[in-house]
Amino acid sequence: MFPLLSAVLVTLLVGTVLTFVSGRYARWIALATSVVFFAEVAYLLLQFPGWPGFASGVPQFVDGESYAWIHLGWLQVNYSVGIDGISLVLLLLTAILQIATVIYSWGEAKKPAAWFGLLLLTCLGCVGVFVALDVLLFFLFWEAVLVPMFFIIGYWGGPRRRYASIKFFVYTHVASIVMLVGLLAIVFYSHASSFDYASVYAAAPALPVVTQAFLFLSLFFGFGVKFPIVPFHTWLPDAHVEAPTGGSVLLAGLLLKLGGYGLIRWAVFVLPAGFHEVQPVLFVVALVSIAWGSIVSLSQRDLKRMVAYSSINHMGIVLLAIAVGSSLGLLAAVLLMFAHGIVSGLLFMSSGSVHHTFGTRDIASVGGMTPRTPVLSTMIMIGSLASLGLPWLISFPAEFTALLATWDRLAYWVLLPLGILVVTAAFYIWMMQRMLFGPPKGIPAEAHDLPWHETAGMGILAAVAIVFGVLPFLLVNLITASPIRGFPGV
Amino acid sequence: MVELSGFVGPFVPELLLFGGLLLVLLLDVLGIRRNETLATVAITASVLALLSILGDLGFGPLGVLATVGAGSLNVTPAAGSAPLYHLTSFGLVFQAIFLVSAILVVLASSSRPSREPGAPIFYALLLLAAVGMLLVAVASDLIFLLLAIEVVSIPSYLLVGYRRQEARSMEAAMKFFIVGALSTVLSFYGASLLFGAYGSTNLFVLQAAAASVGTPVLVLLGYGFLIAGLAFKVTLVPFHAWAVDVYDGAPSDVSAFLAGGTKKIGLFAFFLVFLGPVLLVHSATAGSSPFGGGPLDVGPMVSITLGVLAVLTMTVGNVLALLQKEMKRMLAYSSISQAGYMLIGVTIGTAPALTGATLQILAHVLMKGGAFLVVAGVAALGIGPLIDDWKGLGVRRPLLGAAFALMLLSLAGVPLTIGFVSKFVLFSSAVQAQGWFIWLAIAGLLNSALSVFYYARVLRVMYFDSGDPTATAEAVPTTGLGAGGLGYGRAAAIGLVAVLIVGIGLYPQPILQAIQSAAQHFLLSGV
Repeated sequence: MFPLLSAVLVTLLVGTVLTFVSGRYARWIALATSVVFFAEVAYLLLQFPGWPGFASGVPQFVDGESYAWIHLGWLQVNYSVGIDGISLVLLLLTAILQIATVIYSWGEAKKPAAWFGLLLLTCLGCVGVFVALDVLLFFLFWEAVLVPMFFIIGYWGGPRRRYASIKFFVYTHVASIVMLVGLLAIVFYSHASSFDYASVYAAAPALPVVTQAFLFLSLFFGFGVKFPIVPFHTWLPDAHVEAPTGGSVLLAGLLLKLGGYGLIRWAVFVLPAGFHEVQPVLFVVALVSIAWGSIVSLSQRDLKRMVAYSSINHMGIVLLAIAVGSSLGLLAAVLLMFAHGIVSGLLFMSSGSVHHTFGTRDIASVGGMTPRTPVLSTMIMIGSLASLGLPWLISFPAEFTALLATWDRLAYWVLLPLGILVVTAAFYIWMMQRMLFGPPKGIPAEAHDLPWHETAGMGILAAVAIVFGVLPFLLVNLITASPIRGFPGV
Repeated sequence: MVELSGFVGPFVPELLLFGGLLLVLLLDVLGIRRNETLATVAITASVLALLSILGDLGFGPLGVLATVGAGSLNVTPAAGSAPLYHLTSFGLVFQAIFLVSAILVVLASSSRPSREPGAPIFYALLLLAAVGMLLVAVASDLIFLLLAIEVVSIPSYLLVGYRRQEARSMEAAMKFFIVGALSTVLSFYGASLLFGAYGSTNLFVLQAAAASVGTPVLVLLGYGFLIAGLAFKVTLVPFHAWAVDVYDGAPSDVSAFLAGGTKKIGLFAFFLVFLGPVLLVHSATAGSSPFGGGPLDVGPMVSITLGVLAVLTMTVGNVLALLQKEMKRMLAYSSISQAGYMLIGVTIGTAPALTGATLQILAHVLMKGGAFLVVAGVAALGIGPLIDDWKGLGVRRPLLGAAFALMLLSLAGVPLTIGFVSKFVLFSSAVQAQGWFIWLAIAGLLNSALSVFYYARVLRVMYFDSGDPTATAEAVPTTGLGAGGLGYGRAAAIGLVAVLIVGIGLYPQPILQAIQSAAQHFLLSGV
């Protein structure tokens, strides 16, 4: 069988290397790579058997490959990859965001070869995480994402980029290390025969429940910092505010999803008994993150900072959906991750364009911009409405499912997140009211609407937000081709 | 190819190096003192020696170069015999690692100015030290071992101070000599106490007698002094204070040799002494409580002492490295902390742990040796000693910057580098050994997280801080050498290190396999 997934990884790797060395043609190579990558993901989608081809409640993967890598008897590491519905949805997200980001930052003038190369490298790392089925391989890609993002923030970022890049690197690296200890302990304490997902999955349930709970917590810490969960979230606003727009899009759209994906794939599925023990902890952390992200967003003056805090809020809902621990909840979590990836990408691009156009991102100092910049205003509006959960846009089915799952399991506790969602709606509406409408304010005479490449980049994401908002079942059919369907206690 | 009989066969690499050493001295007498010529002699001798060792280890087609019969490796000597030296594949692995370090330094030194005074002395001392290092790796008697260590130490004191006109180097050499002499005295005193207890300094005899003699105070004192003496060599905290001044004051190429190469002989001595006679007693109960064996069960006591030393070393080294403003001092402290990781291998004492520690040693030879070579090259370009002086270097010199960044990322343990693989294997082995050893893994991992701070800071300075526009010193290479002022030899050495870091990081299987099978033989045969 043709090694499809390795071909995908090799495509991105070759594209990255070519981009780095291609000088002023870098953007074309990057675009070509993104298009080829998108086509490959489309092919994967077309030949994917769909949920009827998948067993219920147990991991099953298609396009699997496994080659020996490090075999020392006590340490059996393989290069193992494979996908199921969850991975495929996130691969699709990666492909969409990559193409949109490359187009959006078409005009990047500062070291374009390095810029596009690092963008592709970040996507390569994320794809690796989504397809890896070996503890070490997973961790390798997980860590490999940090390095390009560190350089993206640190070299192309804003005034405090040096501080923000180091903070980002150290926070997420420390978290990864705690996660690594947890993963190693699972492998060695359960005497798994190899580092493969299959053998870890088979061996881990034999561990004592208390051990499982501790291991789950160590994994939760590692994945949670990427989420990010309050109180380990402070790297995120700093990183976002300083990061260049393209960096922010990948950071919010992809890197945060690594945390959610890792938690579902490597913690919830592998340690179900441990998960059951610590569900209340997850629930509390999720509520705190939702509330904190929402309330702090309300008080932000900087548009980008506001969007960054709203990410904490939305990822909190993802965690809430996971914490519910039902088949429906996990489905909602994956849907939400996809939705948030698209919508936050759109919003970060919007705030980047606001910054180019008006020279500031201060919400209070720009007003009535719609007549001058209709396209930008439309994009902001689509992004904001999607983010606050308007029906027919992509977040609505996801958030609705999440709340439904919460109601299903926790009954009236659902009023807590529901109440906070009102605040979320409030800060978006208030922002739109001040920036888009009303009398013109703080608009420079030379301000003009978006250049073509920014329109195109944002247009892709807006279109995706609408298409999957109208047809969410396309995603649902994919996601249920995974252990989510029939996860203990539907 | 050649089955040299008896005595000569096992010592072909040493003889090759010694031949090179004599040739260097002869050329000096004949008045041929060009740096490049002498470097060529030294490189040829060391590469031949390395090939011969790899041949003995049976690496692929190099097997035809083997000079040791396949049957004479890893042979447990007859009971009652007390050989001075003993050939193990584990020793050969270390010989190869030592030679890699020497070759890198010689290769880089070939780029120094042709007419630089002192070149013959430099290469002669380096080769002599290399001979000593090879001898350490075959020792099976404490006196033989300690004398071999002296054969390394004395040339290295001189190497630190071979530029007599530099006061800083002289001070470093003086300090190094005094501390080194003290460490020698301590080790020999320890050995003499063990002789008092066992009536021999032979490791096989010690191992055999350990059970019958038990562990009187004399033995504990003996091992205590031995640990202290060797700890100086390995720069374990609290015996580390000399290292920073010496690495800082020595010429950077010599620092590369000291931090990358000679320090590792102390670690091999640790393996030899403590995984032979002592921990074998302990290994039957490995993983049980360290205090379970009673107060006089010396194995667990030594094990926990080494564990505490390891954690202390990595933590103190890392914290102090955080505070440094000078590049060389930062690297020196980071070198101290790395010694702590390697000591974990001795503490756990299983074949997997030994494999991880050995790969960590090889990784450190490459990363730290390479980093000091870059520092030496950058200093020759007219860039100052402070970390802040490296502003914007990564952008102005992309290849050099990328190589140095790779070394730092590898030191920090970022994936796809040899530094990640070695730490991964080492810490996995700690988790795998279970019991209290998992805390060593956690301490090590937390430390490696801490270390990211100062490595990332250097990356930040190199890439994100724009350089001082007036500092154009390196724009016009003052050295007149090729490869942008670095010299081809140094550029080759740095490039080689970068390739090995990534290559082994991507596919470590062959090297890990060789090391692990050697480590298993080592633990089975005792010494």
